[in-house]
Amino acid sequence: MTDPFARPMRRREVLRAGAGAALGLSGLGALTGCGVSRNQGASTQATEKVVKAQPDGDLVYFNWSEYLDPELIDAFEKRYSVRVRESNFDSMQGMMAKLRAGNRYDLIFPSSEWADRLVGANQLLRIDQEQLTNFGSQIYSPFRSPWYDPGAKYTIPYALYATGLIYRADKLDSMTGSWNDLKNADAKNRTYLLDDFQEAIGAGNLVNGFGLNSVDEAQVKKSEQWLLGVKPNLRGISTDDITNMTSGNAWIHHGWNGDVVNIRNQVEKPENYKFVKAKEGIPLGTDTFAIPANAPHPGTALTFINFILEPENLAKNVAYFGYPMPYDGAKSAFEDLVKDDPEINVTTDDLESGQQYKNLGRDGTRLWDETWTDFKAA
Amino acid sequence: MGAGRFAGRFLLPGGIWLLFFFAFPLGIVLAISLGTTDDLGNALYGWFPENYSRVFDPVFAPVLARSVGYAVATVALCLLIGYPVAYYIARFGGRHKHALIALVVVPTFVNYLVRTYAWVAILSDEGLANGIARDIGLTTDGIQFINTPGAVIGGLVYGYVAFMVLPVYGALDRMDPALIEAGKDLYGSDWSTFWHVTWPTTFQGVLAGTVLVFLPAVGDFVSAQLLGGPDTFMVGNLIQQQFFGAENWPFGAALTTVMMLFLMVWMVFYLRSAARAAREGSAAAV
Repeated sequence: MTDPFARPMRRREVLRAGAGAALGLSGLGALTGCGVSRNQGASTQATEKVVKAQPDGDLVYFNWSEYLDPELIDAFEKRYSVRVRESNFDSMQGMMAKLRAGNRYDLIFPSSEWADRLVGANQLLRIDQEQLTNFGSQIYSPFRSPWYDPGAKYTIPYALYATGLIYRADKLDSMTGSWNDLKNADAKNRTYLLDDFQEAIGAGNLVNGFGLNSVDEAQVKKSEQWLLGVKPNLRGISTDDITNMTSGNAWIHHGWNGDVVNIRNQVEKPENYKFVKAKEGIPLGTDTFAIPANAPHPGTALTFINFILEPENLAKNVAYFGYPMPYDGAKSAFEDLVKDDPEINVTTDDLESGQQYKNLGRDGTRLWDETWTDFKAA
Repeated sequence: MGAGRFAGRFLLPGGIWLLFFFAFPLGIVLAISLGTTDDLGNALYGWFPENYSRVFDPVFAPVLARSVGYAVATVALCLLIGYPVAYYIARFGGRHKHALIALVVVPTFVNYLVRTYAWVAILSDEGLANGIARDIGLTTDGIQFINTPGAVIGGLVYGYVAFMVLPVYGALDRMDPALIEAGKDLYGSDWSTFWHVTWPTTFQGVLAGTVLVFLPAVGDFVSAQLLGGPDTFMVGNLIQQQFFGAENWPFGAALTTVMMLFLMVWMVFYLRSAARAAREGSAAAV
């Protein structure tokens, strides 16, 4: 009756074409409103103002769709007598485009490398951890000072994700637990690569034994060669891992751990759908709560973050969306969710041994992007 | 003089529209195509002509060739499907003509993206098409329809075939049926009457349809994105990726500019041909 997975969850299975088309139509506005203007250039003063965790108006909320339990939003509205005005993005680039266009939000959910870029450009409000009574007591220790935001001054961790391979155990008995499984001849024309330049080049770097975030031109070139070797085996390049797996088109899919939970809730024989963390290493990512420097109601945003971090709310949220959250209150709920398959979990050990995407800087990002474009064009 | 000024006033609304929603944005595209980006991915104006030299990197040659190839195949299929449909409606539609044309047009009211998603569902491995193929014993393992060049071209044909039917229908509808009777009276066979009378008379309609289908098809990205595989990357996908994936608006704008120039050549060719046909038509009438 209260199956938390009754509704399809959509997190990272991004319908890029849809986003592209929709944004294409609004491209005019985008071109004139943003892009070349620098109207968002916030000053350091704006990012350092002191805000208390007290509601100061309705919450303008901007997140992936179905990436937070809507029942929690209802409960928040009731308890604090405010309204939550929700809108969604379907890619980080889409989120950035809206911010560039000058839209004002109280709460956004950038992933770590984007958070790093936003902090670097003075776009995020300083968060006083003292205001968040549920934070300090529960947060996993590596996140007290994450790489993307030393001291967790501007962001609060929201969820963790790991990238690996989703596969059909009933179709394949030749998985080796390596990124090279993407070349598995048994899954020829049944294999998908994520349509995400970071994830693809990151996997290439890892399989070659380079650092995940290598921007060494010769190394990235080698990773591109590896990807080109994968290409003949591919059926598609897509971020829609849930649909591709549930439709039966994919037997091996480069994909995200939380999506496996979702897939299993949609298929008849969930035990056939497995997730494997490649032995050469996997990328781990963090999505965060952040408050833009120009947020109209930052007090409500802080109140909302603290509300979500209440242990029972964390547990509820994890059961809803299928991704681990780096807080003690969420731990058992997630372990419960993935008890049949610990591979899906992201543990603190993983975080210490795993690698995370970094902000590559402008030239590094450009190198990766051009490599990815060349790979697709080839 | 007075009449000219009067006509000029009529041009004003359209002129303003074009200025603000065509010329001005186009100017921004040109400006950005010579720019660069900051650390946050924002486009910045500047002088970086290397955006254009990258457009001509040989790595992109197969993408352009593929796009043109798919678009040509799309035009050919649209003509093969669209001409007979238009012919039937114009010549034998009778009082149902308008209803039949509406049937061709109405599906295009639904967003092209949504219609393409429908094809994803129909053509997928567990989809309707494979279900039918299995039921009638055509296959046991299933046929891979989706993620193939054929599916991409099929999606383009489906998306744009109405743009071929309408101008051809218009040309056929304007054509005097007596011309066909005259051809037959002169002992022309059905085929030779068609080839020597109907086809040349409606050729401008075919040409218009060709342009209307070719232009959007060659720049399309939706069909390849949803129905294509790893080897069906088109110019439209390349441009789309620069704007929404790579945050490299300057390179995307440079690609767009070069693409527009390329398409303009075709447009000029078509407009000159249409103008010549119009001149010859009025000359013949005299």
